[in-house]
Amino acid sequence: MELPNLFLADLGPALELSPGTLRDACFAVRRNRQEWLLQQRTRAVVEMIAHTAEGWLEPGNGFRERALRDGPAETGYGAPTLARGLDAFFRQLTVENLEALVVQDLGDVRRLDEFSSSAAEMRSGRMSIANGPELLVHLTAGTLPNPALFSMVLGLLTRSAQVVKCPQRASLIPRLFAHSLAATESKLGASLELVSWSHGSRQAVELEEALFQEAHCVTATGGDAMIADVRTRIRPPTRLVAYGHRLSFAFVARESLTHYSVRRLVRGAAEDITAWNQLGCLSPHVIYVEEETEGGAARFAEELAGELARREAADPRGELPVETSAQIASRRSAYEMRAAAAAALLERSRTGTLFADTTGGVRVWASEGSTAWTVVLEGDPRFKTSCLNRFVYVMPVRQFDDVLRFAEPVRHQVSTVAVAASDDRLPVLARRLARWGASRVCPLGRMQDPPAGWRHDGRPALGDLVTWTDLES
Amino acid sequence: MSDTLSIFSTDLRSFIPRSLERPGPPEPAWTDEEFNELARRLFRLQYQGLPVYREFCDRRDRSPDRIGSWTEIPAVPTTAFKDLEMTALPEAERVAEFHSSGTTGVRPSRHFHSRESLALYEASLEPWFHRNFLQLPQSSTPGNRFLALTPSPAAAPRSSLVHMLGRVVSRWGSPDSRFAGRVGTDGWELELDTVVAVLRRAEEAGQPLTLLGTAFNFVHLLDHLAASHLRFDLGAGSRVMETGGYKGRSRVVPREELHSQVERALGVPRERLVTEYGMSELSSQAYDTGSGFRFPPWARAQIIHPETGREVADGETGIVRILDLANVWSAMAVETGDLGVRQGAWFSLAGRAQAVEPRGCSLMTA
Repeated sequence: MELPNLFLADLGPALELSPGTLRDACFAVRRNRQEWLLQQRTRAVVEMIAHTAEGWLEPGNGFRERALRDGPAETGYGAPTLARGLDAFFRQLTVENLEALVVQDLGDVRRLDEFSSSAAEMRSGRMSIANGPELLVHLTAGTLPNPALFSMVLGLLTRSAQVVKCPQRASLIPRLFAHSLAATESKLGASLELVSWSHGSRQAVELEEALFQEAHCVTATGGDAMIADVRTRIRPPTRLVAYGHRLSFAFVARESLTHYSVRRLVRGAAEDITAWNQLGCLSPHVIYVEEETEGGAARFAEELAGELARREAADPRGELPVETSAQIASRRSAYEMRAAAAAALLERSRTGTLFADTTGGVRVWASEGSTAWTVVLEGDPRFKTSCLNRFVYVMPVRQFDDVLRFAEPVRHQVSTVAVAASDDRLPVLARRLARWGASRVCPLGRMQDPPAGWRHDGRPALGDLVTWTDLES
Repeated sequence: MSDTLSIFSTDLRSFIPRSLERPGPPEPAWTDEEFNELARRLFRLQYQGLPVYREFCDRRDRSPDRIGSWTEIPAVPTTAFKDLEMTALPEAERVAEFHSSGTTGVRPSRHFHSRESLALYEASLEPWFHRNFLQLPQSSTPGNRFLALTPSPAAAPRSSLVHMLGRVVSRWGSPDSRFAGRVGTDGWELELDTVVAVLRRAEEAGQPLTLLGTAFNFVHLLDHLAASHLRFDLGAGSRVMETGGYKGRSRVVPREELHSQVERALGVPRERLVTEYGMSELSSQAYDTGSGFRFPPWARAQIIHPETGREVADGETGIVRILDLANVWSAMAVETGDLGVRQGAWFSLAGRAQAVEPRGCSLMTA
């Protein structure tokens, strides 16, 4: 499938973008929004999105095929990984889920269409309507395609004209999604513009300034430095909705580690580690395993290694840039040395004395002849960030409290905690995690598969985009 | 009498001058057989003498009886020098301890030395430094006037670089050679007034000066000279040796740019600028005089592909692994965290494996 040149990003790097071109593009999408999108009701927009998503789930769909054919080269994900991630995403985009999102964030499915009242508002004689930003600009990150796609969905729901800025070499899948929306309804595509450049260059600053001047609201997803930079450059009344770097981990409670359930839990953990090659903010760095006596975490790690090896055969991780695989190789060597040291120490050797904090057991399971997957059983349970790309720590803890203590240094960056625990204990643990600061608790195997109504970093994703008009009588 | 590390050290010290008499690379047969024999001998001794290393090798199924070539000797990661006491020296014999420089709060690498291992360290560093740096064309001035931008050996006893500079200054330096750095609260600082005075005097007298320092030393100096609108034209025969690594102590300047700035600010031509590559975990150094880094005949670098664990093809990038026969009482095979590009018998540096993906590893404590 060849894509027509609908969007600026379709023209590729050959196009010399200027601030003037961008301003013209902003003008065009705002006009198209005014003339058509703004007149559409939520139900109609939701149906168009859901119809487009259904198409992506069909094996012969041209957009899907193109994404799976050209996506691996651009994104670095293998086709099976890409297919799994995109399927999980598009399965969420149903009429029911999208309407539920509107109700969840705005209180009523009609909120974006007309003045309406909740029961309490009605009693006080008030009605209100939610308005999307006239022009919504998204600065997207390139690591995973899904957040960029979902930003576009949110902008359609709020009936905003949108400009989606993709990183250089990460525009293919957002463009394919935009084209698929345009194929469903060309006027949907006409309210969208996609552009692409790398953040940080001198030219990028100039182009972004032009966008920021036009935008009524900007969403930014990326590293903390990028967010901090953007924050200084956006001035009121333009609003900024920023999503900085987050990290996630899992906790397996001792009572859930029965002989029967461990296979299921391990499969779930492997699902989370292989989804998007662990590169998302919702992917686990560490799996804490609660054990009463020594050995539970080691058994879990060993089973997990076996499962990752099986996955690699069916859904290979794919190649990495040498810098990234060197990082995995170096980290592995370091742990192999520590594992050897821990074993040698057990033999009461006279030389090679260990420092006190490295005496915890260390074991490494790793793919042979490649860096495809690595499981490190790390006896020192202080939270450590993984080098990702299917490299995971399994750390034993005596009790749940230890997890909160050892993860304290990253507390304010934590997004998702996957918890495997008994039905009795789960609400207690979830409440403690909520008070501690985690914004999402989910089962193992679902970390990278948040529902459409997911409150991104604990905030209502749709609700944060709108402004309200109240009508008092 | 059975072989010991001491006997090996003695034999290596006789190998060093012999090896330097032979033609260097790109000759492929360059001391290969003898190097291999020495490496296998030392591997056997270290395997026997370091239980942790033996365990590490056993886990990789590599023991002295199972390997035929030095390329199969398991390399320990530099992190082992942080986590462990990677030494066969009993505490009573340790007279010096070299630490890696690094970010505050991060445990440094520690390399222990005895009198005997220090003597070997010096026997290793001197001839290669002399060949690669002092023997640069037109620089056979007796009594080299050195200006080291680092603190003195007394002020920084745990720096292997400073130890090395101390050694070359005392061996080949004129009496007015000096160290112009100090240990400040936030790492090494330059005594800028001293440096400028020395530069001025050398320029006025038209006498050659030899500057030695780390890349960040030079960045600090260049920044100061630029801010004070100072430029020098050091006399013919002047030289600069810069050693890599910034470790967050100054802004990072790409090497090419650093060299052109040095050329402009100090009047030392590019071909008289040599880059050194060394680390506290090693006992030998590599130098780049223009065509890539090269270790002496008693040490070898290999560029290893991180996926396969095998040496990369010419022109490809991988992890720098070094086999240093002068690391007698520690571990001779060391896997660095550096990335290198293989260039025949030489290599060039291409960054650090640890620093490329801050998202993944910034919180790593090990």
